[in-house]
Amino acid sequence: MSAGMEAAVFLAALAFVWPFLGAVVVAALPAPHSREVAIWMAALGCVLSVIVFTFPSVGGGASGWDDDPVQRAGRVMLAFGLLLMVLENGIQPDRLLRSLPHVCTALAGLACVAPEPAVGLGILELALAWGVFVFTRPAGQAKTGWGLIRTGSVGTVLVLSGLLLPQGSVVSGLMMACGLVILTGLAPFGQFWRDENDSFLFLPFAGASILLAMRLRGHGGMAFEMALVAAGLVSVWLTACAGRSRDRQRLFRTFPSALALMAVGVEADVAALLFLCGWCLAGGNRSGRGWAVNVLACFPPGAPFVGCLLLLSVMTDWSWSVAVLTVCGILAAVLRAVPDREAARLFWPEDTAGRVACSVLTVMGFLVPLAMMLGAF
Amino acid sequence: MTLLAILVPLVALCVVARGVGFLLLVGVVTALAMLVDGLAPLQEVGAGLALLFAIPPQVFLARYQHDATLERSGAAVPFFALGLMVLLLLACGRAGSTVFPAGLCTMVAGLVAVVCRQSMVWQWAGLLTCIEGVLLSAVLGRQPVVLGVAALAGAVVLLLGGMCIHRIMPRLVAVRAAGRHGRRTGPAGGGSNT
Repeated sequence: MSAGMEAAVFLAALAFVWPFLGAVVVAALPAPHSREVAIWMAALGCVLSVIVFTFPSVGGGASGWDDDPVQRAGRVMLAFGLLLMVLENGIQPDRLLRSLPHVCTALAGLACVAPEPAVGLGILELALAWGVFVFTRPAGQAKTGWGLIRTGSVGTVLVLSGLLLPQGSVVSGLMMACGLVILTGLAPFGQFWRDENDSFLFLPFAGASILLAMRLRGHGGMAFEMALVAAGLVSVWLTACAGRSRDRQRLFRTFPSALALMAVGVEADVAALLFLCGWCLAGGNRSGRGWAVNVLACFPPGAPFVGCLLLLSVMTDWSWSVAVLTVCGILAAVLRAVPDREAARLFWPEDTAGRVACSVLTVMGFLVPLAMMLGAF
Repeated sequence: MTLLAILVPLVALCVVARGVGFLLLVGVVTALAMLVDGLAPLQEVGAGLALLFAIPPQVFLARYQHDATLERSGAAVPFFALGLMVLLLLACGRAGSTVFPAGLCTMVAGLVAVVCRQSMVWQWAGLLTCIEGVLLSAVLGRQPVVLGVAALAGAVVLLLGGMCIHRIMPRLVAVRAAGRHGRRTGPAGGGSNT
């Protein structure tokens, strides 16, 4: 093995270990210093993941444990999601809670690179267990914790059952699609987070579920793809029907996830990556902020807008009628469900986290299609 | 396929209909169904795991009061589970499978218990029944990776579910102590209902 390849393998391994290291350091440091260190660790993790994407640890046509460029790019999105989570949250007095985003992002990254999708599911279950353990330590949180475990485990069991059935069968595809919709937290089917802190767990968790869905496509077959498209389409239309009422905003929050699942269903992986970028940087509990509303509604410029264009271009080859329904659904959702139009007009946010998010989203919106045209995907 | 494997979904229906009391039976029948097929390491591990996820909940719940959550779900829930099992059978038959999907039917019964029942203990039993079903399917289908992941998911459900139940449900010891205290102080308060 050449020195360059050795360095690439070392960096790839370091990129997986780095968030765990970040978690340990952030938990060990006293609370006042922890936020600054967490930002540095997350930023270095972003740099590492970009390097690993650019210089993969496998060369030429060789196959290896990290040979899928889409999964590598997905981990870049997860790393930027971690950076933004750390940036926008203040100092957390609880050690385990402030290290939770690092642990969950690390486990989500490991789940994407696992040799078999079933192993990835197991790693996601571990992330869920750790997150629920951290959330339910304060008094009065046991029922919420049980709700999280129940819903997440149902999703895992459904996907596992699908994996046990013959490859490409209808039942297998439907079971796996149902499980993944639940794991992704797509509203109204399976959204199971409620509190603000839940984003620490569910942003990387749902992101990794979308990336796992791409790997499960080979086993699920046509029924799996159609079920994902149907679930995404129903969610988009329900978002449009729900309108702007405050108690139904959870539908609008998962708008990028719905489009990402549709993109996975029509095999538009690059579009799914762009929606994943939108989910990691603007999803979860950020839907009240103007810039995040812009991103969630797929307004230009930004990764989700480019993702929409890519998705529709692929979808027209897949099915014209579904493409027309999707365009109408997206337009209706944008017209009816964008919560605060005054806030949505604000393009350049005033806070640092928002500025970083908008910059990354805009750059990704240009770079990912460019990389696709250059043959990186 | 043995008669025991066909019995597992029927016992799982009892969990849907009557609750956690039948979980032990589901575990024992699942373990026997695995071992009847052969004594390979995969089957022995699977049987051990099936018992592990069935026996400790019974022992654990013996220390707590009966879960008195008012069930709003009606008597039709087991029949709903049965209907889903028949649908699954038909779908598997149409896909060309000639083997009775005992594990998946058990999983479906557990899912119905999780979704339709309101009591936390009942939902816990339903989830563990799901895990038993996946374990059985993985052993009968010779899939050690899925068996390992199902074992991990089962351990998570067992431990965290137990933790949540421990924090919500009152313990039996406290009730006995309170009852004893009540009997002592009862006559002094002026009367008793018994």
